[in-house]
Amino acid sequence: MTRSIDLGLLFSTSGPYRLMGLASREGAMKAIEQVNGDATLDVVFRAVERDPGGDIDAYAPHCEDILKSSSARHVIGCTTSWSRKEVVPSLERLGGVLWYPTPYEGFEASDRVVYTHACPNQHLLPLLDHCFSAYGKRLYLTGSNYIWGWEMNRIAREAGARRGAEVLGERYVPIGSTDIARLVEEIAALKPDFVLNQLIGSSQYAFLDALAALRARDPAFAAHRCPVLSCNMTEAELSEIGAAAEGVISVGPWFCGQSPALPGNEGREDFGSSFEAAAHASVMMLARLLSGTAGAETLTLPELLALPSAATVGISARNHHVALPVAIAQVRDGAFVPIRTYAPIAGDPYLTQTRFPVQPMLQVVS
Amino acid sequence: MRRRLRIPELGGARAVILHRPHANTTALVRQLEAVGLEVECHWPELPVSVRTADYLFIDVDTAYDDQFPWDLGEAPLPTIALIGSEAPGRIEWLMNFGVDAQILKPIGHNGVYSALLISRATFDARLAQSGEIESLRRRLGQRQTVVQAVTILAARGKTEDQAYEQLRGMAMAWRVSFEEAADRIVATVKTTGKDEDHG
Repeated sequence: MTRSIDLGLLFSTSGPYRLMGLASREGAMKAIEQVNGDATLDVVFRAVERDPGGDIDAYAPHCEDILKSSSARHVIGCTTSWSRKEVVPSLERLGGVLWYPTPYEGFEASDRVVYTHACPNQHLLPLLDHCFSAYGKRLYLTGSNYIWGWEMNRIAREAGARRGAEVLGERYVPIGSTDIARLVEEIAALKPDFVLNQLIGSSQYAFLDALAALRARDPAFAAHRCPVLSCNMTEAELSEIGAAAEGVISVGPWFCGQSPALPGNEGREDFGSSFEAAAHASVMMLARLLSGTAGAETLTLPELLALPSAATVGISARNHHVALPVAIAQVRDGAFVPIRTYAPIAGDPYLTQTRFPVQPMLQVVS
Repeated sequence: MRRRLRIPELGGARAVILHRPHANTTALVRQLEAVGLEVECHWPELPVSVRTADYLFIDVDTAYDDQFPWDLGEAPLPTIALIGSEAPGRIEWLMNFGVDAQILKPIGHNGVYSALLISRATFDARLAQSGEIESLRRRLGQRQTVVQAVTILAARGKTEDQAYEQLRGMAMAWRVSFEEAADRIVATVKTTGKDEDHG
């Protein structure tokens, strides 16, 4: 008998990072529609949506509202690490599970969270490995002033030290600030081989605009020299950034046009970005776990991951991360073009299983 | 100066837990395995092999001196206290035992990774400091020997400064510490009963 199960959706579809939130929501909604139309699954999902609007203090109350006002125990949601950490206490108190479908900086394996997008051994380390070989070993680090940038740049320093790389500078910008003149001046003076950019939102857009202007006036930064790297830029933000994104090298589990998409997408590829694909995969994986076992929606996450059906779903019962392919892609003529891809790599949030540099390079695309 | 944390090798590291079977132990094992460690649980006795493990977690609520095959304050590996009761007597016990980090019970979904990093850094610093103190103490104890050696050398008509320089030259030639060179000179005089010409 088909069971109707409430499913929480907690994405900021308004506010400063709405483009990412909208992409994630789109993926989750596509999967809900797919699950509800699939007669081979004995579950249908009913979406219970809340929009925190990018306000960090709205996440926990909205999450609690979902868990209290409906029978939902699983919530697909959050874009930033900060908001994820905000909702975990609510999940613990009310017995909920969060499916977190965006890239993050690692060093977490909560009992209450499934991490379905990439962590550093699946994004930052392969990207650095490629850039040390392709561009050189003098790098500049920048980021927004919070945990994502701090921790990613710390890992970059450590990976760089192991490769004999030199960090020329490291500078942070408050979230939302577009005051990046000093940062760009420093880069213009130091002329690094590449810039690792962990800026988010409007800071990143202003930075890329300023760097495009620098490229136009200083031949040392012309053409393919001194590329800017990102570990979370996807198609979801390309239209907003416009021409200034040209030449940016990003890394992610999937970019538009690649085939196949993520393992959890079960062959589907009609997504606008990996944010959308990972949210879709999250809902599909949850449906596979719940289908066929009456009452599975009331099980805890460890119990759910101990079910026989979990073996084929691909979530590590040990650390709740998934194996993901890795693609390094460059923006050329307004679209991401893959320049190197890797076969799926298991998520290693504490970097205790990963060797520097990352080994399993299997395909060179161009 | 700002310290940069050295991240220890945790993949495949061995953690030993001394705690009776309990939900806290289950939560602790889950966290350790998620980080990538191999875990052993023991209760109430610790096997001797604990000495070769990388981390030890102890239940301060129930722990007592005789459970450990070493003296108080001499744990040969980083030790993390699991604290339930914050009674002063228990805190006094753990301070005498000498732990390197702590986690409050009940153990939930986090706390272990930071405890691993802090306990390793604290333990290594403690070990380095006690080595340094031991060496300083030894050198302090040898101060009298140095004075004796300088007196022996000065007895052959040198000034105290010249005798000092001669002793320094001998230490360098023999590739030993200043104190060790002094010790040799004093020992030679003691065995032969006379001041040989050291040259």
